[in-house]
Amino acid sequence: MTDRRWWVLVAAVVAVSAVAGAGAAPALRFDRNIKVGVVDTYSGPPAVFATDALNGFKLALQEINRDGVHGARIEFVTRDEKFSPEIGLSMARELVLQERVDVLVGILNSATALAISAFAREQRVPAFVWIAKSEDITGAKGHRYVFSTTENTAMAGKALAEAVAKKGFTRFWLGAEDYEYGHRITNSFWRFMKRARPEATLLGQTWWRTGEPDLVPYLTQIQQARPQAVFFGTGGAGMANVLRTMKVIGFNVPTAIHTAIDVTVLRPLGAAAPEGVFGTTDYLFYYPDTPANRKFVQDFQAAYGAPPGFPAFHGYITAYFIAEGFRKARSLDRERFVDALEGLRIPTPVGEVEMRACDHQAVLPMIFGVTRRDPRFPFLVGGDLVTLPGRDVMPTCEDIETARRRAR
Amino acid sequence: MVVGFLVAAGLAAAPAVLPLFFVYLLALILVTGLLATSLNLVLGYGGLYQFHHGVFYGIGAYTAAVGITRLGWPAWLAFLAGPVAAAAAAMAIGFFCVRLSRLYFGMLQLSLGSLVWIVALRWYPVTGGDNGIHGIPLPAVLQTIPGAYALVACVVAASLAVLWAVVRSPFGLTLQAIRDNPQRAQVMGVDVRIHQLAAMVLAAFFAGVAGVLYVALERSVFPNMLFWVLSLEILVMCLLGGWFTFSGAMVGAAVLVGLRTLVGRYTEYWTLVLGVLLILLIFFLPEGIMGHLQRRWIWTRAPSPRPAAAGGTRG
Amino acid sequence: MDAGAVLGQLVVGLSRAMILFIVSAGLTLVLGVLRVPNVFHGSLYMVGAFVAWSVAEALGGHPSGLWLALAAAPLVTAGVGLVLERLLLSRLYHREHLMLILFTFGVMLVLNDLVKMLWGPTYRSLVPPPSLQGAVTVFGVALPRFNLVLLVAGPLVAVGLWLFAHRTRAGKVSRAAATDRDMVAALGVDVSRVFALAFAVGCFLAGLGGALVAPTTSITLGMDHSLLIDSFLIVIVGGLGNLWGALVGSLLFGVTQSVGLLVWPQFAIAFPYAVTAAVLLVRPTGLLRSAW
Repeated sequence: MTDRRWWVLVAAVVAVSAVAGAGAAPALRFDRNIKVGVVDTYSGPPAVFATDALNGFKLALQEINRDGVHGARIEFVTRDEKFSPEIGLSMARELVLQERVDVLVGILNSATALAISAFAREQRVPAFVWIAKSEDITGAKGHRYVFSTTENTAMAGKALAEAVAKKGFTRFWLGAEDYEYGHRITNSFWRFMKRARPEATLLGQTWWRTGEPDLVPYLTQIQQARPQAVFFGTGGAGMANVLRTMKVIGFNVPTAIHTAIDVTVLRPLGAAAPEGVFGTTDYLFYYPDTPANRKFVQDFQAAYGAPPGFPAFHGYITAYFIAEGFRKARSLDRERFVDALEGLRIPTPVGEVEMRACDHQAVLPMIFGVTRRDPRFPFLVGGDLVTLPGRDVMPTCEDIETARRRAR
Repeated sequence: MVVGFLVAAGLAAAPAVLPLFFVYLLALILVTGLLATSLNLVLGYGGLYQFHHGVFYGIGAYTAAVGITRLGWPAWLAFLAGPVAAAAAAMAIGFFCVRLSRLYFGMLQLSLGSLVWIVALRWYPVTGGDNGIHGIPLPAVLQTIPGAYALVACVVAASLAVLWAVVRSPFGLTLQAIRDNPQRAQVMGVDVRIHQLAAMVLAAFFAGVAGVLYVALERSVFPNMLFWVLSLEILVMCLLGGWFTFSGAMVGAAVLVGLRTLVGRYTEYWTLVLGVLLILLIFFLPEGIMGHLQRRWIWTRAPSPRPAAAGGTRG
Repeated sequence: MDAGAVLGQLVVGLSRAMILFIVSAGLTLVLGVLRVPNVFHGSLYMVGAFVAWSVAEALGGHPSGLWLALAAAPLVTAGVGLVLERLLLSRLYHREHLMLILFTFGVMLVLNDLVKMLWGPTYRSLVPPPSLQGAVTVFGVALPRFNLVLLVAGPLVAVGLWLFAHRTRAGKVSRAAATDRDMVAALGVDVSRVFALAFAVGCFLAGLGGALVAPTTSITLGMDHSLLIDSFLIVIVGGLGNLWGALVGSLLFGVTQSVGLLVWPQFAIAFPYAVTAAVLLVRPTGLLRSAW
């Protein structure tokens, strides 16, 4: 080799190394663990959902903490808000001010979620809502610091209404629990029903107190009014009661309830659950039957002795959003974390899920089905399943912007 | 007096010394303590079984919250309107209740108060229904914890001073006389009902003040504030602290709130701890914490009421 | 709204009223004879429901499992009440009502957390035996078959209590003690034994109510709350210590709520409070005669 070509070679090698060296980021290590505060309802009938979500969260953390996030593990503490928004707010305050958590997660009760969301905005702490479904959480009352990893009432109402509209019913009765979630889901179902089937009429509506133990007089009164179809807006506290009462009195009106086909609802009821109820959910442990889903279900079943329901799925993806958010942000700074989350996509047992940037709502599919017996299980499952992709049921970014502007 | 000075100094120094969460907790204790002391005016000094005192607390808080968020009132107006609304409610409810005595008084008040709770629960456009109202906008100075604490501490101190003066005044002494023996008071020309009603209205006013302070601290209101469970808790605070003493209610509030927050971090069974504590208290400290302390150290020269007459004849 | 609908709702309301009656009868007995405002009465109702579930579960699918559970649960709650009464409550009879409220409130907190510790936070379901599952149609309304058991149990309890109060020595002494305990003591009767028995019977009824309601609803923490306030209101409305008052009050509450749903569904939950307020305004000591 001539002298000049030798120098060109050396210069090229040096140049390439310099570029390569600059491109490779220095190894980053967080100087402390990431702390997550969980506020949820661990007493009473809703506890079964909250426990399911926490189990999903814990399963994900086991996987995540094997390698950690830039060397940091994710730790968590839990607080029971006993289905009271007042206690929930107080717990959130304690977690942020005293335990100094980086992120708040949890919340089943939509009213508590709104209270904690207002607090999160004030304190600038990111909060993930993983069960409470009021569309106001990411809609009219949404803001920079609140995220939702659960489907919301706008999505569920649309999916359920459009599917039920296809069945041809026109005379409806609405019954629901008198609290935030009950109002939102019922309102959402009805407005999408009117859009899908303008000739639908409302014969009447019945509202009962959340967690009302004796629903027999309410259901018998509805049956006597002879509607063609009924929608029930029941949440964590009342779901079991309404389904059980329907079966006991032989409620013979076609009924639609959101989450009626989910395993967390159907499993504890066993044979006491009624067949033929229409329902929607965003996750089922047996559908779609992909290898990733099967593995998730296997791991969950091995760890907790029961198949995962939608809360477990949400808890699981919340953990991964948090981990990937901090990983992408490369910092424990909350503002950078929030920025990193917007538009973030993570792999999940049922495919990729995106955290939509404009409203901080996870883009989740809705699955519609009907409850029926299955010889494989001692509880009812959903049959005749139809999936609607998330984008088709979510409100558009313009709708969100309008709603938030109107609320201000 | 010395103790009072030390306490005042401690409260003033708190924001500088304590971590932020404990400042918040102290403010919450002061608010709850004021509420309990206002109840004690009618319970301990008046001998009335006020089972649903919380309704006045809730009315005060909701009036302020609705005023600011729905009617666009400035904060100072809303804060004044709260206690006034509570007092007005007491006038209305009390008018019916003072005709009855003891357990029946309490139960009628419970029923009427619960009707108020149901109205708040159902009137979604105004009261936010089951959610309550959150993120209430307040003047900037109140948006920080030390700022809110300062307001709470000053107002509570002033309110307690007024209540202390009332208890010592001729009106207060007449009230205690009515508590000890209503028939004798009546015979001596005292209009028992008017006195009891006045006491209720005054107590409700300060409960309303406590409600407004809660809004300043938490910036939210919840329908639970109007629910009978909270009222039972405040009653327990008074009994726990010693309902024949003035400071007992505040002590009771401190114990309950402190227990709930601090013990609640270590075990989810903090209510069990509280229950056991209450049972032990009844056997070993029958006059409540402050009642016991005062008897040990004979601070007050006011005559202790005769226990037999105070609760009505038993058996 | 046709007559059939009203009659149907009436029957539904009646079955709910029976549970209210059984529990309120226990409370009115305790309030009337012992003058103890027993705040943990509701907790015993909850304990009764959970114990009934446990017994039925333990017996597996045995056909008489539910009946054994219905028999066992009230005995357990009566036992718990008796122990509490002998060890603790009996030392407090001379104290004022407020102190008794504080004591029973403390016991309520302890019992509620014990239930949470023993049975966990998730809710339980108790399925009635096959012969009592499903519903019957009454006046065009589907009434759960198990509710028929309630419609029978209520009057049975009422008759049983009446017989106890008027035909047994213990019952007659209890009634006397309710009116004038000093006199009864002066006559040489061991008043404390009477009190213990009355309290045990009251707690038995609370547990029985809980066991009977268990197959019709979710057995869960917090089920004592609404029942506690309802039974206190019923006892006041009916007249303290008055058995028939408890029956009248329970019927009033149960029926106004279920029929009220046809008339004014939005405010049906207000009816118990409105009824109580109305009664107390008109007849300040309750509808029927009170013991004190």
